[in-house]
Order: sequence, then C-alpha cells, then structure tokens
Amino acid sequence: MGRILLIRRLVLKDMRRHPAEAAMFLLAITAATATLALGLAMNGATNNLYRQTRAATAGPDVVAMSAESGQAALTTLAPLKHAPGVVGHSGPYPLLYTMLKAGGSTVRAVVKGADTAPGPIDQPRVTTGSWVRLGGIVVERGFATALGVRVGDRVTVADRSFPVVGIAVTSATMVYPWAEMGGQGDGTDDYSGLVWLTQSNAQALSGPQRPMFYALNLKLADPAATQAFVDSYRTSTIPVNFFTWQFIAVQDAVLLNDTQPVLVIGSWLLGFLAVVGVATLVAGRAAKQTHRVGLLKAVGATPGQIAAVLLTEYVALALLADGLGLIAAWLGAPALVDPSAGLLSTSTALTRGTVISVTCLALAMAAFTTLGPAVRAARTATVHALADAARRPQQRTGLTALSARLPTPLLLGLRLTARRPFRAILHAGGIAATVTAITALLTYYAQPQQGYDLGSSTLSNLRADQGRHVLLAVTVALVALAAVNIIVITWTTAQEARRSLAIARTLGATPGQVSAGLSLAQLLPALPGAITGVPVGIGLYWTFSVGTMAKPSTWWMLADVLGTLLAVAALTAVPARIAARRPVAQILSAETP
Amino acid sequence: MNDIGNTAVLRACGVSKEHGQGQSLVRAVDELDLAVPTGEMLAVMGPSGCGKSTLLHLLGGLERPTGGEVWLAGQRIDTMSERALARLRRRSIGFVFQAFHLMEELSAAENVELPALLAGCSARTAKRRAHELLERVGLADRARHLPPELSGGQRQRVAIARALVNEPLVILADEPSGNLDTAATLEVLRLFEELRSAGQTLLIVTHDERVAATADRLISMRDGTFVDDTRLSDSATMRLGDLIGLED
Ligand SMILES: Nc1ncnc2c1ncn2[C@@H]1O[C@H](COP(=O)(O)OP(=O)(O)O)[C@@H](O)[C@H]1O
Ligand SMILES: [Mg+2]
Repeated sequence: MGRILLIRRLVLKDMRRHPAEAAMFLLAITAATATLALGLAMNGATNNLYRQTRAATAGPDVVAMSAESGQAALTTLAPLKHAPGVVGHSGPYPLLYTMLKAGGSTVRAVVKGADTAPGPIDQPRVTTGSWVRLGGIVVERGFATALGVRVGDRVTVADRSFPVVGIAVTSATMVYPWAEMGGQGDGTDDYSGLVWLTQSNAQALSGPQRPMFYALNLKLADPAATQAFVDSYRTSTIPVNFFTWQFIAVQDAVLLNDTQPVLVIGSWLLGFLAVVGVATLVAGRAAKQTHRVGLLKAVGATPGQIAAVLLTEYVALALLADGLGLIAAWLGAPALVDPSAGLLSTSTALTRGTVISVTCLALAMAAFTTLGPAVRAARTATVHALADAARRPQQRTGLTALSARLPTPLLLGLRLTARRPFRAILHAGGIAATVTAITALLTYYAQPQQGYDLGSSTLSNLRADQGRHVLLAVTVALVALAAVNIIVITWTTAQEARRSLAIARTLGATPGQVSAGLSLAQLLPALPGAITGVPVGIGLYWTFSVGTMAKPSTWWMLADVLGTLLAVAALTAVPARIAARRPVAQILSAETP
Repeated sequence: MNDIGNTAVLRACGVSKEHGQGQSLVRAVDELDLAVPTGEMLAVMGPSGCGKSTLLHLLGGLERPTGGEVWLAGQRIDTMSERALARLRRRSIGFVFQAFHLMEELSAAENVELPALLAGCSARTAKRRAHELLERVGLADRARHLPPELSGGQRQRVAIARALVNEPLVILADEPSGNLDTAATLEVLRLFEELRSAGQTLLIVTHDERVAATADRLISMRDGTFVDDTRLSDSATMRLGDLIGLED
C-alpha cells in the first residue's frame, strides 16, 4: 500500500512541478489518438448507420425497379410479390423522374408515390413535420439539407407547386445524391434527390413526356441471402433492376472515401510529431531525471521501483490522453459519419477494436518517448547519477572540423545540430510530416472543384467537401503541433548547450550570433525535411485520388517549402533570443561543480 | 583481526577501487582494512581527493569495489545484486550527503517518509515515524515545507531524519557540514552527538576538525590509504559544550 502511495505521490508531485510538460504530452498524444479513433470509427460506420436506419424504417431486403414504364412494369413486377423466398412486400409504388425547383436551384429529382399510411415494408422515418398528404410534399433529409429546404417552404415539381409538409429518412434508396439508384430517367446515373407525394398527386404529374416507373419493396425469408435471390433472376431476362440492402449500404459509404484515409494517415503523422515533441521534452529533462533516480537509489529504491516511478507518470498521461482521444472521437464521429444527413444515427459506438488500437498507439508513443531515457536513468550508477552526470552529447569530429572555417552562427548551428544527431533526424521527420500535409492540402486545392451537377444547378460535393474539411483540420493540427515542437526543440537545445554557448560568448560570440546559431540548428534539419515533404504529400494524394490528378504549380510548392522554413525561423527566434541573452557569468558560475 | 571482525557491524577487507584505466587510472581506495564496531562514531579526515567519498560509497553499497570485500552485519555486500543492494541500503544504511539530496518536489515530511514507504511500511506508520523524527531534529513545525523553503541546516536535519527513518545499522555521512555555516554545523553536530549517545553507529567523512573532534575514533586518509587511526579517549573527545567557543 505504502509503495503505491509513494509512486502516486512522486508522479503527481512531478506533474505538478512540470505542468507545461504534462500538458504538452497530454495534448500531443490526445491529438493523435483522437484522430486515429475518428479514422477507425469511419470503418464500417456507414454500414452501422444504415443498419440502424434500416431497422427504424422497416427497410426492404431487395428493391425491384422496373426498367419499363406503365402497365408493362406492373405486369413484370407482379409475380415477384409471391416469388420463392419472398415473405412480404410493399408497392409497387410509382416513380417519376423530373425537375424540382426550390429557392434558386433547379435540380433533378425522383418523385416517389407513397401511401398516406406506409405499407409494412419501407416506412420512412419523418424527422420534421408530417408524412405525405394530398397536396403536400415530403423531402428526403439529405436532399432537403443540400437544397436548404424546410417544412413550410414551397417547391415546384414538374411545374406544380407543393408545400413541404415533412422531411424524412428512408433506407429503401441510396442517400442523396444517388436517389436515382443507378439511373432510370434519361439512362445515366445522374445525381438527384428524392421526394414523396401521394400516389394520386404523383400519378397526376405523369404524362407522355414523363412516364411512370415502379418500385417494389420485398422482404425475404433470409435477409442475408439477398444475393442468391437476385442471382436466381440473372438468367431470366425480365426487365427489372434489383437493389439489395447490402448494395445500398456500400454505395452510401462512398461518401466517406476521402475522409477516412485523411484521418488515418493524419493520425500517423500526428503520432509521429507527438513522439518528436515528447521525446525532446523527456530528453531535456534527462539530467534532472537522472539526479532524481540517483537520489531514489541512494535511499534504497530497487531498479524495479525506479522504473515504476518513471514509467507510471508517462503511462498514466498516455492512458489519460487515450481516454480523451476516444471521447473526442466519440463526440466528433456523428458529425462526420453521415455527410448526406440521409441516415438515422441512434448511436455511433466505438468498437472494441478501435479502443484497443488507439490504446496501443497511446502506449506505444509513451514507450517510444520515455522507455529509453527511463532505462538509461535507471541504469546509471548511483554515484554518477547523484553527481548529475547527464548523458554526454556525441561529438561528430568530422563535422566539427569542417565547421571551423564557417561564419560563427553557421558554426554554432552545425555544432548544435551535431550534438544530437538523432534529434535532428526526428526534427527533420516532423517537418517532413507537416509539409506532407500542407502539400496534400495544396494539391487538393489545385484540383478542379467538381460539385454535383443536378441538371440546371450544381450543388456542393458532399464527399469532397468533407474530405477537404477533414484534411484542413488535420493539417491545422499538424502545423500547431509542429509549431509547439519547434519551440520545445529550440528551448531544449539552448538549455542543454547553455554552458557551451556561454563559453562561446566568453570567446567573443555576440548574443545575436548565438541566437542565429540556435535558429540555424533548427533550420538545417528543417530544410531536407521540408523538401522531402513535397513529393511525399503529392504521392500520398495521388495514391488516394481517383482519376487524373492535377499537379499543383511549382510556385506553390516553392512557397510551401520557403514558407515552412520562414515559419521555423520565426518560431525559433523568440526562444533563441531569450536563451542567448542570459548573463554568461551567471550560467557559468551556477554550473561549476 | 578476527575478534574485531566478529563484533564489527561494518567491515572492509583489502578493499580497493580504481577509476578510469590506462594512463588515467586512479586508485581512489587502495587495499583498505576497516572494522567499525556497533555503536562507534568514526570520523574519517583527509585532503580533498584522497578517496574518502569513494570509501563511503563502497561501504554503503553505492559503488562496487574493484578488489576486496565489504561486509555489513555478517553479510558480504559487494557481490550482491542491484536489487538486494537497494533493499540493504533501504533497511540497514542511512546516507547523509553534503548536498543534502532531498527531493525538491516533496515536503520535509514526505522526504522523511520516502525510505519507509519504499521499504513497504504502511502510509500511517511512515507518517508517524516521519513526525517523530522531525520532532527529534526540531523541525516538527516545518514538516509541510518544501526543501527550497528551508535553510541549509534545516535541510540537512531533514536529510538526517530521512537517514534514520528505517532505523539503519549504520549512518554514513559525507561531509554533512560542508555546505553549512557555523550555527547550522552546531545544530547538526548536536544531533550526531545525540545519536551517538543512543548507540547509533556513525561513520562521518569530514574536513571539519570540530566534527572530527566529537568522534570516538579518528582515521586520517591520504591517497587512498589510512595513514593514522587514533582512538580518542573520552577526555580527548571534545564534547559539544567545548565547541560552543569555536563559534567566532
Ligand atoms: N567516477 C570517477 N571517475 C574517475 N575518477 C574518480 C571518480 N570518482 C572519484 N574519482 C577520483 O578518485 C579520487 C578520490 O575521490 P573521492 O573519493 O571523491 O575523494 P574525496 O571524497 O576524499 O575528495 C580522486 O582523485 C577523484 O578524482
Ligand atoms: Mg568527497
């Protein structure tokens, strides 16, 4: 008991002493875990929502749509009501393909004739207003959202004006903008939305120019065996198109095709940046930490107890970040899983797989960043540890010899970089990750923006819009984390090298030269990092793009790299100046053993 | 040798410690024999760099000798595992350092509780003992203060309380008054004097004649070896009362 109390006490007091570090650790890992959890939550999310919607709306297992119009269609569909395997049906319901005017837009729409009291299969869920009545129209929720139409507005269908009496959700069609279900009307799979009228209102709109098609909703004995049912009609050439509920769910999920890779790849990049920043923080504390370890050893802490003290802190913070990330994803997922607003979301639970993956990521990041320093500190001989013997930075003699001929700031910059080569590599990697995201975003903007062409009007592209928003958010998070990292790295480097830098100043280096040296030490690894990020960003975009991809202009890419380097220089300037201006004598006297 | 060895709580036989290698090899401790009987207060003096700290580290199991043996309470400790050594330090040895080495994030009381909690005491027992010890060193009213809020002398008394919390067989003190002014040195000396009368075995490395003068026995070191080992007679051992005059 006492030992657990002790570990808790040491961990809590240490966090309280270094709140900024704890906060940074928490923030960085939370950003990564939240993004990964969101990305994983997109996995099968549409399928979940579709299943929930299907359950709430008594969705059909198969929708049979006639390829012919008029009486011929009814004749073709009739035998299906009692086909082997069919246990229930609704319809056939009339379908019309026409134009709809709402506000300033004129768009393609599918008009479905409905019973005022829906049949046993496909009972659309009214989310606002009421269900169809004579002279009143109900608009599918995704379509209504895209058009900005509300209950009480008037819309014109086939030159007849109707008041909107309700907004509803169904699982018998694909979500907006795929209401045509593979295209009847003029034979192409065009974008369109769905509206309902009473059967008589719908019939009244039909005419020679606007033939009436029919859709029949079927319930099968085995809802899983839809494909077998459909296949049994493949050989016969009846003019009917079948849509299984599984197919509808897959089509609905297409809206998330841009969102998910951005989130998952974004979480890797964020995770990497988090590791860079946190590893630097931990390394910056190594000397103090080693002294703490020496002290604990001197009073009789075993290696195991010391490891427990050192690791508990970071593991606890990582688990906290894990929890926060999962909660953020749980709260944020509903905003992303259904871009069309065409599905019901009663719950978007995170799966156990997601929770495990995200927890593993958080623990891995904690281990990556702290295990090495913790083991090193625990292994340091007690007497050394008490004497504050931090790890000596490596000296790269080649670099040091080369740098002797260079101007002072560059010489200092090179030597500072050479002191911690692994950190320089991590830093370069962090900049590369950031530039990768910025480049992907710029590449996105270089693409011709294609909205949904719904006949006369073009509405915004839900899939691409959400992809862009998510990419923008991930990029902003990466840039913010990278900015914090740069400040942390500069400050840590300045702290670790304060003695050498003070000596450099006694030898005549000015504060300006020292601060320029500190900034250069960050810019040197940033340059290859930024240059690497450009092709990686374009390559990643290309991997996930469909069709041809427009390359962003060279000028943009140049601005991308130069802008990043300028930002690095600006961010390093403040900590570097503060570090360079501290009085030399004070540093040297404080450090003399 | 043997008869001393039997009653000695702490014993070193031909113990050596070398630092570095080749040209830069330093023999900090050179085949020393030492036996410290229970209840003795032993002072070790010598110029800087003669190996006093190294000897103390060897005796307390903080460093391993390059040759020879170290025995504590009949157990050979120089061959023990890290874990066993840690346990031994925690239960049987109390260190007092020149630089205090208190944990800065812990209060005075929490610093004293630290070895007790490490040893597996319940939180309540640890708290009670820390309270008793802080009272004994005259710092009951400073229990909740953090080390930076205490004077040097107060910090060293907290460190002594911490060294005592598990009732160790031996207290090893490395220049305990090295960072202290005269008044604070006297406070610490008074405390050692009390511990000596209570039968506590104490080994104190010091530069300070006043500290050495309170011991039962004084060893002088030079270049890693003992050059003098004097038993101070009761009359020769200066008592605290005589020391007050040294203040100015
Ligand atoms: N870790 C070490 N590495 C190399 N030499 C050391 C080390 N520790 C101590 N020494 C050397 O050993 C000798 C004895 O040191 P020390 O025991 O600290 O002496 P004292 O405490 O009497 O001043 C000195 O010459 C010192 O430089
Ligand atoms: Mg010493």
